[in-house]
Amino acid sequence: MYGPAKAPESGWQRALRALLYGRDVDRNVKAKARLGLAVVGFAGIFLVIAFRLVLFATSGEGHNGRRSVSQDAVATARPDILDRNGEIIATDVKTPSLFAEPRKIIDVDEAVELLTAVLPDLDASEVRERLSSKRGFVWLKREITPSQQREIHRLGIPGVGFLTENKRVYPNGPTVSHEIGYVNIDNQGIAGIEKWLDGQGLAALHMAGLATDQLQRPVNLAVDLRVQYALREELAAAREKYKAKASAGVIADVNTGEIIAMVSEPDFDPNNPRIANDPDHLNRLTTGVYEMGSTFKALTLAMALDSGRISLSSSFDARMPLRYGKFEIHDFHAQRRVLTVPEIFTYSSNIGTARMALSLGVEYHKAFLKKLGQLDRLRTELPESAEPLVPKHWGELNTVTIAFGHGLSVAPLQAVMGISALVNGGKLIPPTFLRREQAEADRLAKRVIKPETAEKMRYLMRLNVEKGTATRANVMGYYVGGKTGTSEKVVGGRYSKTKVLTSFTAILPADKPRYLLLIMLDEPQGLPETHGFSTSGWNAVPVGAKVIERVAPLLDVPPRFDLPKADQLLLVSAKETR
Amino acid sequence: MMRLLNILVIGALIVAASYVYKIKFDSTLQAERVAKLRSELRQEHNAIAVLRAEWAKLDTPARIQGLADRHLALRRIEPTQFDKLERLPERPAPGAPGSDSIGAMLAPAGSDTTGSTPQARAR
Repeated sequence: MYGPAKAPESGWQRALRALLYGRDVDRNVKAKARLGLAVVGFAGIFLVIAFRLVLFATSGEGHNGRRSVSQDAVATARPDILDRNGEIIATDVKTPSLFAEPRKIIDVDEAVELLTAVLPDLDASEVRERLSSKRGFVWLKREITPSQQREIHRLGIPGVGFLTENKRVYPNGPTVSHEIGYVNIDNQGIAGIEKWLDGQGLAALHMAGLATDQLQRPVNLAVDLRVQYALREELAAAREKYKAKASAGVIADVNTGEIIAMVSEPDFDPNNPRIANDPDHLNRLTTGVYEMGSTFKALTLAMALDSGRISLSSSFDARMPLRYGKFEIHDFHAQRRVLTVPEIFTYSSNIGTARMALSLGVEYHKAFLKKLGQLDRLRTELPESAEPLVPKHWGELNTVTIAFGHGLSVAPLQAVMGISALVNGGKLIPPTFLRREQAEADRLAKRVIKPETAEKMRYLMRLNVEKGTATRANVMGYYVGGKTGTSEKVVGGRYSKTKVLTSFTAILPADKPRYLLLIMLDEPQGLPETHGFSTSGWNAVPVGAKVIERVAPLLDVPPRFDLPKADQLLLVSAKETR
Repeated sequence: MMRLLNILVIGALIVAASYVYKIKFDSTLQAERVAKLRSELRQEHNAIAVLRAEWAKLDTPARIQGLADRHLALRRIEPTQFDKLERLPERPAPGAPGSDSIGAMLAPAGSDTTGSTPQARAR
């Protein structure tokens, strides 16, 4: 080509060349330039191909990953719920669900016949209707067994398939029901902690179809399954024994606000929550509000002692019933004499506490209860909560009755929070159902009373068990303190003499409280063995004693047999503070 | 010269192509293995979830209590049955070989039968 010897061109050949390439062009130079252009062009193309290859090689997993997400998207996974020791309270199990694509079904009648043969509880007419529809996707039956899946698979019906779904399982049945709540068939939380979980962004994950198993870390609750079980069993037994309408109980850690156990009988099985919305089966501790009765006297006494104007040696006149307008306040254990402050507590004197509250004034009383969180709705992780019933016009008469626990209805969990603050050294800590470390509790805590007042409250609670209304709670080996409460229920606008709500609030151990126990019985009946009495000391207190004896070893509270007298408790604390 | 270079380049091309093919083939195999292991993992995870749920169900306090009530003659623990570790006596010094140091401690109690439970002693 590049040869120097060139045949001479004929005339018309030259003319053609001039026409094609231009007149004075050196073809050799031009060919080199073209070659260069071709090299650059091909090099560019190969570079692009190589670059794409590298891209494919590095992101080759993308295909697999996408497939697994779409498979899990329908399976709305939820995190496991564990108790404080890591025992499973709720978990997910994969179960197949049967679906159909009606457009792909050839013979509807045959399909219906075959399916109803394998799944006898399937409604034939409903299945026929669904399969005849023009929709692209219909569920036929959720949560079938693996053996049913195998049989249907073997039938080989076109247009029928399976999807694996997550089914929520509660292995403990009704034991923790009110706390965890339950889910619907689509694994969405309906009540309790399950609903709270959805509020924590899980619902959004579900919507985006991203709630896969890998994403989820288990949730640790504060509840102790063993304690919860023991409490529930004792409360169920108590409800039967005293023929009560309902029984409820809470065990809380007074220093962190954790709820170790919470039971409200009757309850339900979250695996089959059909009766959960029945008003009888609601959680009385959070959704119910009650007049707590004499239990509230603990708050009144703490207020009085904390004011600095009343000391343990102050005394109040309880000789005569307190007359206020047309009302007359009586004592249940009437002494008809002047009572000192500890006596007012141990005899549970309505007159004494009412006079105490009156001497401090209505506004002071109101402000103190507000400070202790008794007048506002208590919010916890549980979505269910109830607003306390506070009198609209709070006059002196209201202060008189609220001083001994009538005329103000609060959620029992709220009272637990308030009384915990009275004994734990004066720190109000919002209760929680999740694990909480001491440091976090201290951060959330709000000082409401002085530590010295808390010492005095511990002494009063212990004294009440030694020689007050709660003597039946004096469990051998445990230093229990407590306050009883019996409130008359309002029936038809009047306080009933026979229908009562009894409660018992206990602290354990009384000299350095770690746990607070609340037992509540709704309309307990008098029994021959209680001499017909239905007040707290005869039913709620013995139940509380039984619970303490049973759960104290589980709560790591060792029995002690060198228990000091309550008076010594006060002496020791006085020495320490000096 | 040019011809040698051309032959060398062609040889290199063939080697490179076969090497790339081998890598590609290996990576396909690996990817398949990964996918298989993933699905196995998923199955194992599901099986573990089922077993854990079953375990939790068998382990639930209500069931254990029922079994204990039915099969065991145990009573509820009393506060007096607890004691502190500090109150445990020191281990006795080892005596001469053949002698029974624990037996010697028990002998002064004056009983000819031993047993840890009242029933065993009565027998």
